[in-house]
Amino acid sequence: MNHKTAPLEIRERLQLSCGDDARSLTELMRLPEIREALCLATCNRVEVLARVAEGEQAVEGLREFIYRQGNLEREELGRCLYVYRDREAVRHLFRVASSLDSMVMGEPQILGQLKEAYHQAVDNRATTVLLNRLLHHAFRVAKRVRTETGIAGNAVSVSYAAVELAKKIFGNLKGKKILIIGAGEMSELAVRHLIRQGAGHILIANRTYERAKELAETLQGAPLAFDRIPEALPEIDIVIASTGAPGYIVSAEMVASALRRRRNRLLFLIDIAVPRDIDPAAGDIENVYLYNIDHLQDVVDSNKEGRRVEAMKAEGIIAEEIAVYEEWFNALAVVPTIVSLREKMEAIMKGELERSASWMKILDGEERSRIEILTASIVNKILHDPITALKEESRERDELPYVAAVRRLFKL
Amino acid sequence: MIAIVLFKAALAVYLVSAAVYIASLLGRRVLLARFATGLMLAALVIHTFSFAAWWLTAGEGPVMGLLETLSFFAWVMAIAYLALQLKTKTRVLGAFISPVICLFMVVASVGLGGTVMAPAMLRGTLVTFHVILSVAGEALFAVASCAGLMYLFQDGLLRKKKAGGFSRLLPSLGDLDRINHLCLLWGFPLLTLGGLIGSIWARIVWGSHWQWDPKQIWTLLAWGFYAFLLHQRLVIGWRGRTAARWSIAAFVILLVLLMVGRPFFQTFHDFL
Repeated sequence: MNHKTAPLEIRERLQLSCGDDARSLTELMRLPEIREALCLATCNRVEVLARVAEGEQAVEGLREFIYRQGNLEREELGRCLYVYRDREAVRHLFRVASSLDSMVMGEPQILGQLKEAYHQAVDNRATTVLLNRLLHHAFRVAKRVRTETGIAGNAVSVSYAAVELAKKIFGNLKGKKILIIGAGEMSELAVRHLIRQGAGHILIANRTYERAKELAETLQGAPLAFDRIPEALPEIDIVIASTGAPGYIVSAEMVASALRRRRNRLLFLIDIAVPRDIDPAAGDIENVYLYNIDHLQDVVDSNKEGRRVEAMKAEGIIAEEIAVYEEWFNALAVVPTIVSLREKMEAIMKGELERSASWMKILDGEERSRIEILTASIVNKILHDPITALKEESRERDELPYVAAVRRLFKL
Repeated sequence: MIAIVLFKAALAVYLVSAAVYIASLLGRRVLLARFATGLMLAALVIHTFSFAAWWLTAGEGPVMGLLETLSFFAWVMAIAYLALQLKTKTRVLGAFISPVICLFMVVASVGLGGTVMAPAMLRGTLVTFHVILSVAGEALFAVASCAGLMYLFQDGLLRKKKAGGFSRLLPSLGDLDRINHLCLLWGFPLLTLGGLIGSIWARIVWGSHWQWDPKQIWTLLAWGFYAFLLHQRLVIGWRGRTAARWSIAAFVILLVLLMVGRPFFQTFHDFL
């Protein structure tokens, strides 16, 4: 599930249980159908990536796992989950890694989070050949998207735009107080920009207090209980909201009363959440400037077309890379057949050489080794075309009739 | 006559400075604005010399007639702006203030040759103080309303989410509001003091503090307006758009008094 499908409460509950400890991963690996797995839990998504034996059964098993972790009603949670298989799963992973699926397209943190999740999986021996390869491929795709398209610049410039706007409003950011609502990927980026401009005093409010405390530590701010936002608001100059909760967290009345108490000092509200966290009516209040993510994007580049083109370019890169991956993956399917075919041939060769060992005694060492080389090269010549055909088949077709034929013909 | 030559030179440099300021605003070049600031500083220096020359040749306080008053008005505005520019780094404000300065200077230059001298009974140190203080206060109010006007521009742009382009050139809302605040804070006591001295002088000359002179009434009205605005600012915490609108409105009242009101009313202040 991600920020588009699941409300904040569900994401946070799951995220906590799936989040940082390896327990969930070990539990995941205990499911009978799971061969390899990886658990990615960030503020905006909770995802399990797994290679499984029995498709449908495994998906059911995974669902069960999620329900157990979240300790939630099936009905409620079921609506939020999405399942991707095969090619679509690969595409999704690539999109997530390249930050196309993020709340703010192109934000850089998701790749680091994915890498962390992968390292955790590796440390717990939860991945083998397939996921290792897939993840490394995903990292490579992310890098390509980053360097070959303008997507990455988007997030940077969005947070930069927020800072520029703050400067337009306040002039000097020194000593300005910032409130972050929702410990998100993007808000952190924006806050770091603001801190660099001299903004001081950072408050972090999050529905789960622990996460607020965590982020407060890294940003050297102070955590704030979620229900105390109205009390803190009069002291604040800049608010950055990114929770993605279903309703408004900051109402227009809240802002109006805060403004009265702060004697109309200017207030800059940045709402990068979708759906919105701050009532748009708050933007009509005098001395309040409310910008949501679309406004910020518009500030960055007035042509949305350009952004769409970059996203299309990125999708193109992903499609390309999926093809590369599939080639490898399908080749993976014929590899065991090729290996056993070779093994069988070599076994036959060895057996025949051993049977002839008695009469070959009359030959000297050099002649014997020549015969061995001869037989080996005959085997190789015979195998060359069928193996080539198998490999080609893996590249061109999804089903593999030759593999089946070879297995039957040679009784592999 | 060297005073008049200097005055005309100052006017010319002010005009060039205003043109460069406006060019920098339209062309969105900061470098031009910096150049314009230098020009304005040069104009101010020449202007100051012209006052000094006037003082030496005429042998009395320079601010006596309407034209000198206007010239003095422009002089205070230039000083106020340059001082604020040092404090807040808002060069673009010049594009709004320099045309106003030029306007005053041009009007002052039109009848410069034949100076209207005040009646003999209105000459004296007290009157000079009265005029200097009132005009300085009004000049600061002019700067405040320029800042207010820019505030409304910038506020409108930011509200319409058009933060690119033009908005980038305007100073930040915080700075504009601070300029508005500072000018009111300094202008108000000056105007008050100027008015008090005037009324003391009136008492000496006419035997009463208050003559129901249209100009007196009008000034008192504007003074009340500013007093109200300053009170709201300091006590209620008015700032931003409302404060900007009020300071513009108050200044328009002052302008009406200064420019339009004169031909329609018979007043003791006729000569000013």
